[in-house]
Amino acid sequence: MAVDAVAATISELSPLLRRKKISPVGLTLLYLERAKRLNPLLNAYTTLTEEQALADAARAEREIHQSLYRGPLHGVPFSIKDNLSTRGVRTTAGSTILADWIPDFDATAVQRLKDAGAILLGKTNMHEWALGGTTINPFYGTTHNPWNVDYIAGGSSGGSAAAVAAAMCLSSIGTDSAQSVRNPASMCGVVGLKPTYGRVSQYGTVAGTGAYSTNHTGLLTRTVEDCALVLQTIAGHDPKDPLSANAPVPNFSLGIGKSVKGMKVGILRGYFDEFTAKEVSASICQAVAVLNSLGMQTEEVTTPHLGLIPAIKVCTSRVENAAAHDPYLRTKANEYSKATLHSYITALLTPAATYVMAQRARRIVCDEFDDLLKRVQLLILPTIGFPVPTIEQCQAGYVEFDGKKIPRQDCRGGLESCAASRSTSQACRRSACVAVFPNRGCRWVCRLSPALFKSHCYFRWRTLTNGSLNGTGADRLCQRKIIRPIGPSGSCPSARA
Amino acid sequence: MEEQLRKINREYAFNLSEADIQTIARRAEEFERLFSCLYDIDLSDTAPLLKLDKRP
Repeated sequence: MAVDAVAATISELSPLLRRKKISPVGLTLLYLERAKRLNPLLNAYTTLTEEQALADAARAEREIHQSLYRGPLHGVPFSIKDNLSTRGVRTTAGSTILADWIPDFDATAVQRLKDAGAILLGKTNMHEWALGGTTINPFYGTTHNPWNVDYIAGGSSGGSAAAVAAAMCLSSIGTDSAQSVRNPASMCGVVGLKPTYGRVSQYGTVAGTGAYSTNHTGLLTRTVEDCALVLQTIAGHDPKDPLSANAPVPNFSLGIGKSVKGMKVGILRGYFDEFTAKEVSASICQAVAVLNSLGMQTEEVTTPHLGLIPAIKVCTSRVENAAAHDPYLRTKANEYSKATLHSYITALLTPAATYVMAQRARRIVCDEFDDLLKRVQLLILPTIGFPVPTIEQCQAGYVEFDGKKIPRQDCRGGLESCAASRSTSQACRRSACVAVFPNRGCRWVCRLSPALFKSHCYFRWRTLTNGSLNGTGADRLCQRKIIRPIGPSGSCPSARA
Repeated sequence: MEEQLRKINREYAFNLSEADIQTIARRAEEFERLFSCLYDIDLSDTAPLLKLDKRP
């Protein structure tokens, strides 16, 4: 049976794999061939594991033929961001410092995918040490946006997003401290999820690729259904991760397709407002109109201390990162790019008292969000407030919208990273990228944030949220006038290549 | 700020140029201004939010 790699989703392919209508080896070859052909254009992968992938696919095929079916990811090709440890496969974290590091263990998320029979195709490119949102990497090259190669793919999990968007794999695992999954997911038009802190084990994530208290293992897929399937596989308590939540894991697929009528949605005001382009605002308005048409109750909401978030985010993330890098800063400083090194040195100048003050302020902001999410079940806000920038703009250090040039560091993000974190068993809030909006040949996404461990709220949104690249989801959004096709065919040139 | 930076430069053996020192010091001052809001609110009864190690 022929598979259209560009249109295929895990939820469509899984039953075919189980019924032996398609072969794991054939599927792996198909995605490997695309990865090899498109990678010179997009630079999504830093390492391809062709030989091992084909061996794993052959084993999956044998098992399925012996009726040893492991589940919906059995035989499904996936990729891993290059800051998650992979046994026998180099793990660079986007830095030359680790260029030759070959771990002898798998990160828990990777191990769980392998246990489920998924096929690792390779490691994806990322921003150096995950310290940025462009995936313009001075050592491993720039990852290009599949929708228009002059634009960035976002970051820091830019390679993962580009690989999923261009159908160079069916799913990818990334990490997200301050939007590092959601930002590239939005820029590449795929589904991105930052699960609640503790829901997915952090064991095996390279230290210093995200702040200790804000970094999450996240995932990127082409549809919400696929997102639920992959999260189901990687979620759950891990004794190897002391901050892993020992909380029951619900069936994430159960709520998919159920009515969303009556759900209360808060339109968050006061955070992005002055950093939001008119086009983005208009798109959010359109999305809100759709929510209302589905019977959801929308209202504008805010919290008193949103203005503290940039300070909390910057202080927390810089200081925690710099602490993790201390040994390398003392011995291998010349192996950082200048920008990254300067960033860590700047963090070293932050007084310890300021870090503690940031954590105290963080509690205030979190408590306010907890109260807010008792009133509404979800929040809707832009993932990024501006159109996807070009690589050239990012290299020059600015983004441009509505006739203004704004330094990139002034653009807001990372709200969930610091604004929504809790102590003890619960920690950071989850957030997901969903509806897709095109602009100037690229796309961005609004995001939804339910309360901690309330994943069902997100997955119930399938009617609205299946806005991945091609196929019925995007078509449905087009019909609802949420998105407009980019070109005459609405297709992604490089993904179709 | 600059003095502190020069001390760190010596301690870590970064060998920063004078231009680098100026750039980093300027950015650190920007951060200091950004962080000033943390001292403008009443946090007297607020404990830091920390993630606790849950190992038994």
